[in-house]
Amino acid sequence: MTLHATDLRLAVDGVDHLKDVTATFQPGRLHTVIGRTLAGKTTLMRVLAGLQGVDSGSLTRDGADFLTTPVWQRDTAMVYQQFINYPHLNVFENVAFPLKRAGLSRDEVQRRAQESLARVGLAEFHERKPSQLSGGQQQRVALARALARGAGILLLDEPFVNLDYKLREQLREEFKGLFSGQGDAVVIYATTEPAEAMMLGDVVLVMHEGQIIQIGAPDEVFDRPATTTVARIINDPPMNIFAGRIESGQITVADLQATHVPVHLAGLPDGSYQFGLRATDVSLARSGIEGEVTFVEISGSETFVHVAVGEAPFVVQIEGIHDVALGELVAMKLRPERLFAFDQNGTLVRPAANEHAAREGH
Amino acid sequence: MEGLRRHKSMFVLPGLLTLLLIIVFPLLFTLRVSFSGWNVSNPQMDFVGGANYVKMLHDGRFWSAILRLLPLAGGTALIQYIIGFGMALLVWHEVRGRRFWRVLFLVPMMTTPVVMAAIWQTIFNESLGPVNDLLGKLGIAPVKWFTESGPALAALMTVEVWQWTPFMFLLLLAGLLSLPKEPFMAAAIDGAGVWRTFLKVTFPLMAPISVTAIIIRLIEESKISDSVYVLTSGGPGSSTETPGYYLYIRGLSEQQTGYAGALSLTYLVLMIVTLTIISALLVRAFKVKEN
Amino acid sequence: MSRLYPTFKYTVIALWGSFVVGPFLWALTTSFKDANGVQGGATYIPWMQYKPTLLGWHNIFGGAGGIDVVQPFLNSAIITIAASAISLVLGSLAAYGLSRYRFKLGFIKNRDIIFFFVTQRIMPPVVLVIPFFYLLQQVNLLDTIPGLIIVTVALLLPIAVWVMVDFFNGIPREIDEMAMLDGCGPFEVFVRTILPNSLPGLTVALMFCAVFGWNDFFFAFRLTFTQIQTLPQAVVALNSSVPPWWTLSAAALFGLLPLILLAIRVERYLSRGSLPGAVR
Repeated sequence: MTLHATDLRLAVDGVDHLKDVTATFQPGRLHTVIGRTLAGKTTLMRVLAGLQGVDSGSLTRDGADFLTTPVWQRDTAMVYQQFINYPHLNVFENVAFPLKRAGLSRDEVQRRAQESLARVGLAEFHERKPSQLSGGQQQRVALARALARGAGILLLDEPFVNLDYKLREQLREEFKGLFSGQGDAVVIYATTEPAEAMMLGDVVLVMHEGQIIQIGAPDEVFDRPATTTVARIINDPPMNIFAGRIESGQITVADLQATHVPVHLAGLPDGSYQFGLRATDVSLARSGIEGEVTFVEISGSETFVHVAVGEAPFVVQIEGIHDVALGELVAMKLRPERLFAFDQNGTLVRPAANEHAAREGH
Repeated sequence: MEGLRRHKSMFVLPGLLTLLLIIVFPLLFTLRVSFSGWNVSNPQMDFVGGANYVKMLHDGRFWSAILRLLPLAGGTALIQYIIGFGMALLVWHEVRGRRFWRVLFLVPMMTTPVVMAAIWQTIFNESLGPVNDLLGKLGIAPVKWFTESGPALAALMTVEVWQWTPFMFLLLLAGLLSLPKEPFMAAAIDGAGVWRTFLKVTFPLMAPISVTAIIIRLIEESKISDSVYVLTSGGPGSSTETPGYYLYIRGLSEQQTGYAGALSLTYLVLMIVTLTIISALLVRAFKVKEN
Repeated sequence: MSRLYPTFKYTVIALWGSFVVGPFLWALTTSFKDANGVQGGATYIPWMQYKPTLLGWHNIFGGAGGIDVVQPFLNSAIITIAASAISLVLGSLAAYGLSRYRFKLGFIKNRDIIFFFVTQRIMPPVVLVIPFFYLLQQVNLLDTIPGLIIVTVALLLPIAVWVMVDFFNGIPREIDEMAMLDGCGPFEVFVRTILPNSLPGLTVALMFCAVFGWNDFFFAFRLTFTQIQTLPQAVVALNSSVPPWWTLSAAALFGLLPLILLAIRVERYLSRGSLPGAVR
């Protein structure tokens, strides 16, 4: 089955929760919806699930109107951020619940529930109640329940965000494997983390302030972000965006450095541009663009150095752990061939070169 | 949720409609009847304008009953609060045989008020009851419990205090048990003594639940009529009549239905206004204690 | 000071305990008296101060000059149980609606419904009796058990709703949503997922209903004449002047017994703090 949303609009108290949302969701594919908090991801999911109405627009399933279908007839399963399970049922009964509702035979219910629980690694926990489980285990129960059904639509709203980092990574890996058994289901997965979106998705939808601002394969969205907003959202840390000019073969960046226009940007008309550069494509060097260190963040095995160049903030991502002092004056070197060019409105004009490089296993 | 509204209303509506009917129907009936001259000799819903209300304004007995609520309801609620709070504080941290005490303290508020009132009537009996007997053993002259208005009121209040202090006790104890520990630890670190801790920490923190509890008791004590009926029959004379009891006399005993309707609505409005004011005052009183 | 405190504490508790138990003990003693034990003044200890008899207890089960307390007891039981059950069912449904949905029936919003509740609690029972008298008269249900059941439901329903709304509000809405996604229609959601999780609330509500239902006097008093009598009515009817104190005491204790047993049974639920929530 194919879900097709057209021009969905929803405004609450004057604030747009969904605006002109148009998208197609196809069976057998994992769609990831990425956006910041309050971008509208959850709202979109709830509309698809039937838990939320819209002001205008249409939603069809295989061409037939889906908006007026009641929730319980939508053949949809959902996994929430907060681990939602039925408190009065034990783990097995939790997973069996929708199966029984669907009228499957006792044997079938038994088989599917057991299989599902085994796949998420909870085979020995059948008798326990959700309140006796850890957070990760509770979420696995929710997952098992959603998967056991074999529902036509599977919605996951930041399912691992309330778990600790290690567990999140682990479940993410497992999820890819789990999902492959879903066959013809439409799977939609919402997240705020670009890494997750890229890793899991066949199709990435970027949402911002209630609108979908780009749809495409992960490669495409990553290498050719449609706007500066997408570029910021789809990179972590967000892509550095700064003003610059191209004039008579020279490129001036951050009003400071002038070099020859790099090859991939040749042919662009003179004028003001917004240039984008990933944090990984900037490095600290002996000489280059100078700025003052405003913040240093060490995360995992990387160091993020925030540098202020005049008014423009830069973020430099360096491998390894480095000792950089606040207030220190540093020089940054940019890789010119990695510059993205956006026009004054933020629309992409020219992507960076070496598109297939630098996908750095995210 | 689209399309769901219909379904939901359907299965929920019966309950809600019944509820509204139960509450709205008596109110509307009372309102309408208050403008009619319905009484024993004229049992019909005619229309006499505000005649009943005018009559009410001149009804000394009614207003005495209303004023009586000040000591009766106000005093009783206050006593219940003080004793209830005191007991709750005593029992709060640790007490042996807790379950036994809890059951014991719970029982009075589950008893049938009229049945207890009948028992109390034998207890306060002026010549044959244990109260005067015990007072006599202490060298105190027997009190005319039912033939003098002061003692009669005191007897009534005693009955109410006995019956409903447990309610206060349980409510306030639950409140105490659910207080956060941090303010108390802070107070202990600051070297605050028992009394100061109570004034500055315990009492203000208990403000919301105290106000709720007192308001509830005020509502309930103001409307008592069955205990009055059994214990004193409003006597001696009409000196222990509550508005509820007086309403019973006029509305049921004498079947002056129309007039009783006017009295009822006046009572309702008065109570709502008074309770709102008291509520606001209480909240302010508790806030003053905070520093 | 702190050394004296435990003594102080237990003394106060003992004093209050005596005050609480006093009336029951008095009624117990008195129920075993006869005219001799009462006329001469207050007596307390059997055998020492008066001669105990079973006169009172004999009287309440149909002895000469007494009453039959069993029939009123049964009437009270039937009415209380039926009215409580009906109130719980209807009340839970109504409470679920109030908890989950915003109602805009004309001018009535959820908050207004609460206002109406409070109004009903403020009114002396008399005010409710009069309209229901005429209502029951119209449908010929005065002085009948069904009639009393209907009126008692009117009394208990707001209480049931009050308790359950608060309780339902504590159950996350996501459970409802999950059940709907799993294929339950709204009614199934209520029955299969909300109700099973509501047992504590239902218990508290049932308890309140049972107590208030059993203890009602006024409704029974004014809405029945000769055919039907509830237990409180029976006891009060015995409350003439001095003579049948022993019968009165026995009847009173008999009528209070179920409540005392209920209190013992239910003490643990109230102590868990469900009371403040239920009474708000």
